[in-house]
Amino acid sequence: MDSEVIVGWIKQAKERCDAGSLKAEDFDELLELVDSSINSNGRARQRLLYLHATSPSIRSNLIGHALHEPVEGSTAHQIDPLEPELLYNCVHDAILDGWRVIHFPQQLAPFEDREIDIIGYEFVLEKNEVCDE
Amino acid sequence: MSKNTIPKENLLTDDQVATFIANGYHLVEPDFPDGFNESVCEAIDNLESHLGNGILDAAPILNEVYEHPAVRGALMSILGEDYSMNGHRNLHTNAPGSNSQGWHQDGTNVRHHQVRTVLAMYYPHDVPPEMGPTVIMPSTHLRNAPTDRLQTYGNLKGQVFLAVKAGSVAITHYDLWHAATLNRSDRPRYMLKFLFDRNSDPTAPSWNHDPETAEAAATRCIRQIGPQGYCSDYYKEWELRKELWLWMTGDGEKVPQGAFKDMLS
Repeated sequence: MDSEVIVGWIKQAKERCDAGSLKAEDFDELLELVDSSINSNGRARQRLLYLHATSPSIRSNLIGHALHEPVEGSTAHQIDPLEPELLYNCVHDAILDGWRVIHFPQQLAPFEDREIDIIGYEFVLEKNEVCDE
Repeated sequence: MSKNTIPKENLLTDDQVATFIANGYHLVEPDFPDGFNESVCEAIDNLESHLGNGILDAAPILNEVYEHPAVRGALMSILGEDYSMNGHRNLHTNAPGSNSQGWHQDGTNVRHHQVRTVLAMYYPHDVPPEMGPTVIMPSTHLRNAPTDRLQTYGNLKGQVFLAVKAGSVAITHYDLWHAATLNRSDRPRYMLKFLFDRNSDPTAPSWNHDPETAEAAATRCIRQIGPQGYCSDYYKEWELRKELWLWMTGDGEKVPQGAFKDMLS
């Protein structure tokens, strides 16, 4: 349950208050909405999305991803021959889809000219949602 | 170390060797006789598991895989005429219902920028995508990447699934990133991983080399930019590939210290 529903109730209640029609039962409805919201938040879990980009910029192209669902039995590694496509083109696209960045990569590139190591820059994003088992 | 001999038509071309230098792998599809791959599968089905290096003694038919002229030609082209089979080998069985492995390089982080050892992965049956093919990431063989640091990667842009037909042999640089993927089928996926070693530094090209066209082929392959390319890295990749090409053609002494700076001039 998101806060938009409760905000909606408050706006309606203000109109009823102005019209003199606000009743005690309306507050019972508000209590139910708040209870529902608390329960829902209590069941929400953290979904994690690792995105690997070609630079520390959130606008740079992605080269890898791994989505970790907070449910029993989800696998640690997800290299999938049947679903090889990346979910987003860049970190910014994921933000537009509701993901929050909780880890930004270091801006520094390696300075050793004769060595290369891992690929890309790692961002970690989260969404708190109620997930089906 | 004795030298191998092979008909010239079985050797790789400049373009194929340069592509191997750029991508870190080469796929061979030998023309085994009818029923050969099935015979290998039968031999494997009847083995105890975890034979490790003993797999060749237990299934000597596997010698015929690595003696095939197309396989020998590719190995000789990449490792030189006096290449030899390494003592380490194994049967890798990807069981039905498995999950994917994490990306990894074999061995420990003692890497180099030559080609000293290759993996030769033989698949004795068709491997469709749902059967847990090996996945490889082209152009990662020159990266010195501790496997622990690869464990947050999932799907990577540019990854190649070795969904191959029966009898295929994928020859990869020892350091190429790879992993087994999830097997959704109801059959085990077999892969024989044999290692082969170079025994001497190159003094001349050991493949079908044409001095007239080789440089253009090499430049074209070396200057590829993969999907993971970003400027800090691909400049270095180009230089490392160029050095490797020079080394394999026997001109390794031309590679000066700090050659990276020379490339930019």
